[in-house]
This record gives sequence, C-alpha cells and structure tokens, in this order.
Amino acid sequence: MLLLKLAIRNILRQRRRSFLTTLSMALGYFMAAFTFSVVEGSYGNIIDIFTRDHTGHVQIHAGDYLDRPSLYKQIRDVESVVGKVQTVPGVLAATPRIFAPSLAYAGDKTSIASVVGIDPKREALTTTLSQKDRIGDYLTGAMSPDGYDIVMIGSALAETLKLKIGDELVLIGQGVDGSIANDIFIVGSIVGDKDSSERIKVFLSMDAAQRYLSMGNTAHEIAIVTDSPDEAEELAASIEAEIADATLSVEPWQVVEEIFYNTMTADKQSNKISTLIIMAIVAIGVLNAVLMSSLERAREYGLLRAIGTQPRQVFAMIVVETMMLGIIGCIAGFVLGLPLLLQLTETGIPMPTPVDVGGMAFDAILAEVSLTTLGLPVILVMVTSFLVSLWPGFRSARITPTQALQAV
Amino acid sequence: MEKVIETQDLTKAYGKGNTEVRAVDGVSLVIERGEFTAIVGPSGSGKTTLLQLIGGLDKATSGKVLLAGTAISDMSGRALSDFRRDHIGFIFQAYNLIPVLTAQENAEYVMLLQKRDKKERRARVQSILEKVGLQGLEHRRPAQLSGGQHQRVAVARALASGPDIILADEPTANLDSTTGADLVDMMKTFNEESHMTFVFSTHDPKIMSRAKRLITLEDGKIISDVRQN
Ligand SMILES: Nc1ncnc2c1ncn2[C@@H]1O[C@H](COP(=O)(O)OP(=O)(O)O)[C@@H](O)[C@H]1O
Ligand SMILES: [Mg+2]
Repeated sequence: MLLLKLAIRNILRQRRRSFLTTLSMALGYFMAAFTFSVVEGSYGNIIDIFTRDHTGHVQIHAGDYLDRPSLYKQIRDVESVVGKVQTVPGVLAATPRIFAPSLAYAGDKTSIASVVGIDPKREALTTTLSQKDRIGDYLTGAMSPDGYDIVMIGSALAETLKLKIGDELVLIGQGVDGSIANDIFIVGSIVGDKDSSERIKVFLSMDAAQRYLSMGNTAHEIAIVTDSPDEAEELAASIEAEIADATLSVEPWQVVEEIFYNTMTADKQSNKISTLIIMAIVAIGVLNAVLMSSLERAREYGLLRAIGTQPRQVFAMIVVETMMLGIIGCIAGFVLGLPLLLQLTETGIPMPTPVDVGGMAFDAILAEVSLTTLGLPVILVMVTSFLVSLWPGFRSARITPTQALQAV
Repeated sequence: MEKVIETQDLTKAYGKGNTEVRAVDGVSLVIERGEFTAIVGPSGSGKTTLLQLIGGLDKATSGKVLLAGTAISDMSGRALSDFRRDHIGFIFQAYNLIPVLTAQENAEYVMLLQKRDKKERRARVQSILEKVGLQGLEHRRPAQLSGGQHQRVAVARALASGPDIILADEPTANLDSTTGADLVDMMKTFNEESHMTFVFSTHDPKIMSRAKRLITLEDGKIISDVRQN
C-alpha cells in the first residue's frame, strides 16, 4: 500500500518526465502491437492466397510422388479416395489432378507444356483457378462440335505457339500404358499472365486427361482445402487415418511447399528481431529517465535507509514505480492505438505497387487484431519496464545513509 | 540508572598512514536513560561521525557501541536496519522528510515499517503532532511547511516509533536562532515529560545552554563532559 502510494505520488511529482516515459512506453506498446497485427494479418493473407492459388491446405499423393514425381505413381480408384476425404470434418473441398509433361504443336511452332488434368467444378471449389484473369470461358469438360476436347492454356504457351481461342493444339506425350499419347485439342480459353503459375500449362478435364494418358480411374494428386487453415497438420493426420491406405501419403501445405513455408518462418523471425530492436530503443529511453530520477532522489533513499527501510524495500519502490509507468503506457498505447489497428483490419496498408501472387493482385496488407497481437506487447512492455528498473533499483538500494546525507 | 548508550574506545579513521584522519578517536562514554545531552565542538571535531556511529549508520574502525545493551557495532545488514527502525529516532539537519508524503504520513512512516496497526498509528501520530504544535497542518506536504515545521515533523516521526534514543545532528543549524531555541525547548519538554533520551549536536551557545549535559569534542576526542542545569 505504502509502495503504491509512494509510486503514484512520485509519478505525479515529476509529471513531465513521467509523461515522456509513459509516452515512450505507449509508443513501444503500439509499435509492437502494430507489427504483430500486421505480421499476423499479412501472413494469414499471403498463406491464404498462396494455398488457394493451387496448393490447397493438404495434398495426397501415391508414395513419394511429392519428392520424385512420375507418371506411374498413381492414386488408384481416385474417386473413392476423394469420397472418403470429403467425409472428414473440416474438409471444405477436395479435387483430383493429373500431371504429365508433353510437347505441344501449333502450326509450325513447338513448345514443351505441362498437361494438368482437373475436375473443373471441384477445382473451382478448391482453388482460385476459375477466378483468374482469362480470355474465353472456364473449362467445362465439353467437346468441340468436331469432337475434340476443349482445353484451357497458360498465356505464355499461347504466346509461344501464337494460339488464339478456337485454334487447334496438338499434344504428344507418353501414356501410362507405354503407348504414345497423341491428340488434337481446341483452345477454349487462355488463363493468367506470363508470370502466373499457369504459364505453360494445358488444363484438360479429368476425363480427357485420363483418355489422353490411358490412365483409367487414377490421378496423381488430390488437393484439399479446409475452413481452418491453421490446423492443416492436424487435418492431414485425420485424413490419413480416414483413407487408411499405406501406399498414399497425406501432407499439409507446410510440407508440400516447404521452401515457401521456410521463407515465411524466416520472415517472421526477422520481424521478431525488429520488434526486439524497438523495445530496446524504448528500454534505453526509459532506463535513462528512471536512472536520472533515482540519482536525483539519492538523498531521499539515504534518508529512508537511515530510518529503517530495508534495501529491498527501496528496490521495490523503484521497480513498482517503473512498472506502474509501464501499465499506464500500455493502457495509453492500447486506447490510442486500437482505433488505428481496427481501421487497418478493414482497409489494410496499401502496398506501393500491387504484388502479384500467382496471378492474383495483392494491393493491401490487412492487419489482424487478436488477443496475441494486443496482449503480447503488454508482456513485452512490462518485461522491459521490469528489466529497466533493475539496475537503478539495485543502485539505489545500495546507497548508504551516510553517503546520501553527507553532502548537505 | 540504566545505561542506554555506551561506547568503548570508539574510533573511526579515514585514510591510511600519513594521511590518516581520526574523525572519532578513542571515545568511551555512557549515557543514561532520560538524559538530555549536547555534543559540541568546532566544525570537523567529529560530532557527526560520532552520532552516525552511535546510530548504526556507519561502521567504526575499532571499538564498540552498545545500545540498550545490544552491541550494534557487531550487527550488519537487515538486522542493523531493523534495529535502527525500532530503537533509534533520527533527526537530521535538513532533508528529513519524504517530499511526496504529508506531515502526518511522514510522521507515520517508521510506524508503517514497524507494521503497527492503523488505528494505533493514527491516534499516536495525531496526538504527537498536536504536542509538537502542528495541528491543522497534518495534510500539508513538506514543500508547504517552514523549516521549523519540517524539524517538528521529524521530531514527531522520531517520537512516534517509540525508540530508546533520539539522535539529532545539528537539528537547528538551518533555523534562525529563536526557531532553533523553540525546537530544542520542545525536545526538552518531551525529555522531561516522557523521559525520552535525546543526544544532539550543535555549535550554537544558545542551544548548548539548554542541554543538561555537555560533551565537548576536539579532534575526535572528548575534552570535557559536564552536567549543567
Ligand atoms: N567520508 C569521509 N572521508 C574522509 N574524511 C571524513 C569523512 N567524513 C568526515 N571526515 C573527516 O572527519 C572529521 C570529522 O568530521 P565530522 O564528523 O563531520 O565533524 P563535525 O560534524 O564535527 O563537523 C573531519 O576532519 C572530516 O574532514
Ligand atoms: Mg557535522
């Protein structure tokens, strides 16, 4: 009680210094809360955009397809696997895919191409493919009046082969049964720009791809999305248990997109470091103020020691006073900063130039406010206040009464 | 009579060899409970140092200090701090009070450290503040009090904690001579009414004349020790 009384009165006694100290703590709180909220929001955003581009949150492959892709590593009876996956709670959508490298001819031009077999409807529920910039209609699985399969191709391939909507395209590859896969297709649409992930892809319907590659009812990949992306790892485990097939491997996006995931994690790390730097700057300012006022009050502490105050009580006085400034700083930072942070969750921070992530323009970073992004800075500020008060507290507690009372 | 202070060959030396200064040099004295003693002597004679040794604020180079039978020269750290709190009242020349506390809170401070009951604290401090002539000023901060009133609050604080002795190092040095004399008269009243032992230092003849016992120091040694009326 006495401690609190002394702390409050001492804070009020040096209003100007207390105000400046509190202000720097409030700023420290706000900067940390801002960083955490923006980081949380932008990672959420980027991960969402990234996984929704084509990866999904969980993928299924046969054996080690992920590390060493091969035409022959097929998921057998893919429809029944997809069926089982869809019964797992948390699964929003699941879609099968086929991948095969091919050569593409059009007129006298040749290019390599990646053939991707998709189920147009389920793909549209799983990823953003159907919403991407496109000339012509999204894949339906329909055939042309002449009986050729209609395909959707990437814009880089269209440019190389000088293809327009309605043009013929010849694909030559290898079938699963060892035969030569060879077919004529009609360009129904051109998707993405030359930087997007679809650059040299040729999208066929599942049915067309299975016929072209003589694959029967098999596929190379099943991509799955969930309504709680934070729990992709747990979902992968539940799916694995549900399909109960040792020849299939089920992996979350963190494994599928290991490089992307590691980059993200490293980035978070560097954000932690910049937050620490902010706190260090705040700490130095506060340390300076606390040290100054404890030096000015040396005589007072000497008097307190003379009349029977224990060193630890003097120490506690300084720690309590500094921590109280920290609490006020957090409250001020919270009250003044929250409206701005909430605003940022709505409008976001505009990017100087829109960033293209897989054909999707990404022009603002939305902040995300949570107990963590607002609460963690409180802990940081309080820990900083505590640490910063240790040295001045220790010094003042060691003042001997004679030292302090001598210079009269 | 009861010995409340006893020093035995008490010495405090600063520096070493040729530059050694003995601020207090082999002082042996006994003060009985209820005495009203002035320590006098020119500046630099060792008054402050002697009071600090007796009060357990400083460590002697050699010799002993016994306070109410306890050898405080052997004590240290927490124990000594608690001993000061419970057995000695201090009045300094200046800066006696905590600026952010009111007169009443300053006077209560040591009792608070002693964890005395709030009711008891309030009642005791209130009655002492009245006796030292500060009724009506209980809620003023030190900045709103005169020099004489400061020293009265310090006396009140010293009395409130119920010590065995009250040590005052030149308590009147910052006051004009009438205010100083009034303060010492007030201390003398407490001494006579409640038998509280006071030891104070001064170099003001007007103040010395009020002491019942006069110990004169020179170069850290007692050169005279007389009782007077
Ligand atoms: N911390 C110290 N270091 C060195 N010498 C000191 C110290 N404190 C006091 N002295 C010396 O001790 C002597 C006595 O000082 P002091 O007790 O303050 O005398 P008084 O209070 O009678 O003026 C003086 O010569 C003073 O210079
Ligand atoms: Mg002196």
